Amino acid sequence: MSDQKITIEFNDKVVRQFLLASVIWGAVGMLVGALIASQLNYWRLNFNLPWLTFGRLRPLHTNAAIFAFVGNMMFAGIYYSTQRLVKARLASDFLSALHFWGWQLIIVAAAITLPLGFSRGKEYAELIWPIDIAVALIWVVFAVNFFWTLARRREPSLYVAIWFYIATIVTIAILYIVNHLSVPTSAVHSYTLFGGVQDALVQWWYGHNAVAFFLTTPILGIMYYFLPKAAERPVYSYRLSVIHFWSLVFVYIWAGPHHLLNTALPGWMQTLGMTFSLMLWAPSWGGMLNGLLTLRGAWDKLRTDPVLKFFAAGVTFYGMCTFEGPLLSIKAVNALAHYTDWIIGHVHGGTLGWNGFMAAGMIYWLIPRLWNKPLHSVSLANIHFWLGTVGILLYVGAMWTSGITQGVMLNATTEGGTILAYPNFLDTLNTIRPMMLMRVIGGGLYLIGWFLLIYNLWKTVAGAQPVNGTIEVFEDVGEPVADEKMTLVGTFLNPPVAFSILGVGFSCAWMFGGDFMSIAGLIGLMLCVVLAYAHFESRGKSWAAWYDRLLVNALPFTILTVLAVAAGGLIQIIPSVISHRAANVEDRLQIPYTPLELAGRDLYVSEGCYNCHSQMIRTLVPDVLRYGDYSRLGESIYDHPFQWGSKRTGPDLARVGGKYPNIWHLRHMENPRSISVGSNMPNYPWLLTTPTDVAALPVKISVQRTLGVPYPAWTDAQIAANVDTQAKGISDDLRAAGGYVARDKQVIALIAYLQKLGKYETVAPFKAVPR
Amino acid sequence: MIPTPPPNDEDQLRHHSFDGIQEYDKRLPNWWLMTLYGGIIFWVGYWAYFQWFHVGLTGPQHVEQAMARVEATRLASAPTADDPSLWKMSRNPVFVEAGRATFNTICASCHTEKLTGAIGPNLVDQLWIHGGKPSEIYVVVDKGVLAKGMPPWGPVIGAKKSAEVVAYILSHHTEGETIEVQTAWVPILPK
Repeated sequence: MSDQKITIEFNDKVVRQFLLASVIWGAVGMLVGALIASQLNYWRLNFNLPWLTFGRLRPLHTNAAIFAFVGNMMFAGIYYSTQRLVKARLASDFLSALHFWGWQLIIVAAAITLPLGFSRGKEYAELIWPIDIAVALIWVVFAVNFFWTLARRREPSLYVAIWFYIATIVTIAILYIVNHLSVPTSAVHSYTLFGGVQDALVQWWYGHNAVAFFLTTPILGIMYYFLPKAAERPVYSYRLSVIHFWSLVFVYIWAGPHHLLNTALPGWMQTLGMTFSLMLWAPSWGGMLNGLLTLRGAWDKLRTDPVLKFFAAGVTFYGMCTFEGPLLSIKAVNALAHYTDWIIGHVHGGTLGWNGFMAAGMIYWLIPRLWNKPLHSVSLANIHFWLGTVGILLYVGAMWTSGITQGVMLNATTEGGTILAYPNFLDTLNTIRPMMLMRVIGGGLYLIGWFLLIYNLWKTVAGAQPVNGTIEVFEDVGEPVADEKMTLVGTFLNPPVAFSILGVGFSCAWMFGGDFMSIAGLIGLMLCVVLAYAHFESRGKSWAAWYDRLLVNALPFTILTVLAVAAGGLIQIIPSVISHRAANVEDRLQIPYTPLELAGRDLYVSEGCYNCHSQMIRTLVPDVLRYGDYSRLGESIYDHPFQWGSKRTGPDLARVGGKYPNIWHLRHMENPRSISVGSNMPNYPWLLTTPTDVAALPVKISVQRTLGVPYPAWTDAQIAANVDTQAKGISDDLRAAGGYVARDKQVIALIAYLQKLGKYETVAPFKAVPR
Repeated sequence: MIPTPPPNDEDQLRHHSFDGIQEYDKRLPNWWLMTLYGGIIFWVGYWAYFQWFHVGLTGPQHVEQAMARVEATRLASAPTADDPSLWKMSRNPVFVEAGRATFNTICASCHTEKLTGAIGPNLVDQLWIHGGKPSEIYVVVDKGVLAKGMPPWGPVIGAKKSAEVVAYILSHHTEGETIEVQTAWVPILPK
């Protein structure tokens, strides 16, 4: 090792850029949130304009909050802390700049395309395919920049924050790519590769783990760096870090199906989703404990330091949400809470409380260091904290009240349980209106707090000179010395990994094997636990020594992380994807959409109807009483993308077909309140004047055929004729009922689609499926 | 200030520090470990109960059993819906008032609160599409007429409320008035 000392300058420019971007996009995302929350109470705020309706803006809000606000904040935190934790400047200034500008370009593209109605129709995965490719590429740029920096590190051992960053980068890459697989039909439209239940499963494997690996693990890493720094206290427990990191990344992935409880999803996956969610409670609280207990001995600083206030409250909200998550995953609780505002309250406890407060704490801590100037006003930051806290409590409290109230009303029965106590859905909606207003007030307070941060930042930074951190290091890049290097064999052939793999293998044999395999698996699992315990008690030191070695070997560490996160996804998704379609049908098979209905369905997706309407009648008595027979898997098997939905601001639509006459739908789309007094649905007047894009149908149908939907080999002319005949029928029927709309208008296609919902043919289970 | 307790093994900091951050290596709290183990044990038990021994019902089994019980209760408590009984109900203010409440909640959106009709037909004139006898009106409310866009309300509001709604409609009519059956009907729409 050379004794030559050199000074390296960190790339803090990109940190400043990401930080400012996060602050600005955060404000944009929250403003859109405040608007759409108000729209729920005052439908006029949809302004009868397509690009300002709730269905199009809600995806903008969620995508902005996740990818623009938290994304940029995460990149700032990761880049700042990683350079210091590994004692190396970011590997490439070019890649850093490309990462920053590429990401902002993606956000701008999203902010334009989503209001225009370009959408893939899957939550938090709405962006159209060209933008998806850009996201994947920029993520690779991020990964290369990060791992290249690790490769040039002068600090051989990886700190716990880096573990979480590694897990984030590799897992998001896997999730994002798999859930965005689609076949384009044009430059702005595509159909998802998976359909029906497979698409539902992949979507919530992604959706749940986007929460895990985009909103949780990177922020835990950021907590492990910035919280001890700000508190000037040692981290509470290293071994807790180890246990909670590995259990969190392993268990999280399995829990995705808890978004699909009591639905048509096969029971074994629902059971996995619920039980793994409960198992996730302790690993999540491990992170909270390590955060809060690190503050021991620094509690007095909380009185004065806004940074620590934000961190302490943020970690507390994390603990609250990760307790609430398992609770909501219990099937009985989920039956009440799912599709209601309780879930909205739950996620905002996470985003506002955990993400938003960790972001604020980090930003207040970074500003003086990145611009070498004390914060303009500590009292303003304190006011921000209190406004934010009161805002979150009002918001979350309102949503709990609202969700439980509506859930109880929707599930209430009377007359010996034979009929619904509130058959009119709108009665339940209008009961919670005061709570919806309270939510806007809470969110508004939080937003005002954020504006205080922006003002404070502005006053501090204006006229200040940006500074880049430096460090003195020995010239040599610290390669692990020979006896610390870990081979592939060493990565796997060691007690902790071997016992883990055996344990998971035996568990799977027990869960999925036949009679004999099950028993063998259970016995094997118990033996494995006993042996592992005995070995750890007698030779625990060798486990610790191996882990110390692993920490200086970034590649083996990354490989093991990938394996830990991949297991759950593979075991849940592969059986569903490779099984013959017939196995996913039960006793009913969807009748494929006619071309006109397909065009209507694309409108349904594009307008974001799924943001408020589900298409999934659960195996619950109140659902069946309200919406009809419970949904079977086969009834959405040809749906690319699936539209089961996750929220019922309005009623379920799975069996709405044939329930009302065409004229009902026309009047309802034109002005929902002319039919449903007290409805908060936007008006859709443009559907009555905009023509349907019939020219796109031949390509769309050909793509659907590729995806396995049994369409005949129609010519373009046949498709056009088919569309025309069906459209004329609906138009004539509307005319007979006194409401004329030309047959080429979008509303005709949409009515055709809505009237098809719930149409199926009966088939013998597990056979008699065409093709 | 609480005096610092004497250092023990757990209070030793790990040797390494990362950018000045040090780490203790404290024991994991017992209650935390119990939560972790408890979750795992629950998984084994729950999986065995539902997926291995199949003691617990699946979602479809559960809902089908429950709906069969609902159906049985309905059958046992269905009110008499013949013409004389319905006429009698229509002269009972308690029934009519209950019927009005239900009507205004769910029927008025198509038939209007004055029962004069819009998307759905007028219910106070003497023209009927599917027959104007009380029992015939009851069937329309209970089973619906899907072809004309009338949803079946029986499963939603139940037999008792259906009878009340019919009683409310009948309260606008007199027993023995002329009934004209007119099948070709056009909705009257809001301007």
